[in-house]
Amino acid sequence: MIDARGLAIGYRGGPTVLTDVTFSVMPGERVGVLGPNGGGKTTLMRALLGELESRAGTFTIEGRQGTVPQTERSRLDYPVSALDVVLMGALGRGPWWRRPGRAERALAQAALERVGLEDRARETFGELSGGQRQRVLVARALMQDADIVLFDEPFTGLDTPSAARLTALIDALAAEGRSVLVSTHDVGQARAWDHVLCLNGRMIEFGPPEHVLTETVLAETYEHAVIRIPDGWPRGVTQSAGASARA
Amino acid sequence: MTLIGLYAFEKRALYEVLLIAVGAGLLGTWIVLRGLAFYTHAVAAAAFPGLVLAAGLGFAPMVGAAGTGALVAAGVGGASARRRAHYDVATALALVGALVAGVVLASNVFHSGAEVDSLLFGSLFALTDLDLVLAGVASVLALLGTVGLGPRWLATGFDATGARALGVRSRVPDLVLLALVAFASVATLAAVGALLATALLVVPAATARLWTNRLLAWQLTSVALTAALGVAGVWLSVRTNAPPGATIAALGGVAFLISALVNESGSLYRRRHA
Repeated sequence: MIDARGLAIGYRGGPTVLTDVTFSVMPGERVGVLGPNGGGKTTLMRALLGELESRAGTFTIEGRQGTVPQTERSRLDYPVSALDVVLMGALGRGPWWRRPGRAERALAQAALERVGLEDRARETFGELSGGQRQRVLVARALMQDADIVLFDEPFTGLDTPSAARLTALIDALAAEGRSVLVSTHDVGQARAWDHVLCLNGRMIEFGPPEHVLTETVLAETYEHAVIRIPDGWPRGVTQSAGASARA
Repeated sequence: MTLIGLYAFEKRALYEVLLIAVGAGLLGTWIVLRGLAFYTHAVAAAAFPGLVLAAGLGFAPMVGAAGTGALVAAGVGGASARRRAHYDVATALALVGALVAGVVLASNVFHSGAEVDSLLFGSLFALTDLDLVLAGVASVLALLGTVGLGPRWLATGFDATGARALGVRSRVPDLVLLALVAFASVATLAAVGALLATALLVVPAATARLWTNRLLAWQLTSVALTAALGVAGVWLSVRTNAPPGATIAALGGVAFLISALVNESGSLYRRRHA
């Protein structure tokens, strides 16, 4: 469970970049975080992970957190297999001098099976497709046995089948009672989740999609850079300079 | 010369390069992965003033080398705890400072003369028992560190921010890595000197990286290549009367160049026929 009240966040030595954030995520809920690039989505994720300190307000987190970062943040030239990456999820469980053992390897293999990549365990992480890399990172979060899973723009660069597979995984995680927070640019996708949090340097709105995803809120969130695709048109290819959203 | 055609001093040099190969080869892979080549060079160079002091004042050279090396390692480790930019600047300052201090001590204070050569480039044919023991200890420690802390070194290098989110928050494993690299740098001084430590600690691992994309295979190849370059360098230097440290470094450079060329040609061929 996450409960944030009047949160303000900034980077060390820099200005405050996100203010007035109030929202809550209960177990089993999926929350989409929308906002333009630089709007504060990743900043919020980092604060929830304890990497940034809040400058005002409070937040309470109950449960173990797992994170699925943007894969570009990982070193794709690293000589690590998919199994090695999943095993990294076990490192926080023990003291610094203890290495993962046979039991952890079995759990990591099971986590890879869960995301449908059991036959890719030995493959080098950087040689997997973008969608497969995301699923490996989901398996790593499963390895952490996270009650709260934070996804940072997981759909960026994924083709439609990979995105659909990832959406199904997110739904399955929520169905198990985990709280899931997903930052995304896809308004249509966020419409299917339980709550939506709109950010643009401050919280614009939080609530159920039917209340939040209005033209007024989206215009304020994306500073009028929303492109509407008429019903029946293929979705997925819209953009504008700086800020963009698919509606 | 013995029955198998090796001089006693040559045999001793071979023991040294084989003993240090395990530690240098293993740590080399972590140095390359974690971007510590510059740090390695600086710590080894920092041993230079310590060695000059030891020779001038008449105490054990390894004590001097370890003393100044540890000072630099602690300083750089402390700076890296604050910011990455501090780490690079601190390393550069340490490198320049150590060389300046060493040169002033050698030329103006102790008038070390020709002795400076062996301090800078090693004296593989004048080894003491302590040198062999240090090489062995460095290798055992590197092996223990790799087995015990390797997964954490890997996770932090793979995604430092993500590693903290995974609960890998302790800085102890990274400080142990810096300390092990510093110790191994000092242990290689007898073989290749203060200026060529990276010939054993970086070049073989960087070369082996061109041939494999698997960590274990890379580590094994790196150890084997370090040993092979060391043995070949010792053998060749005796036969050509060339300085052994420089010969090992030159062979390492040639091996890297050939590997890079073969690798690049292979990539080019695959791209054209894809």
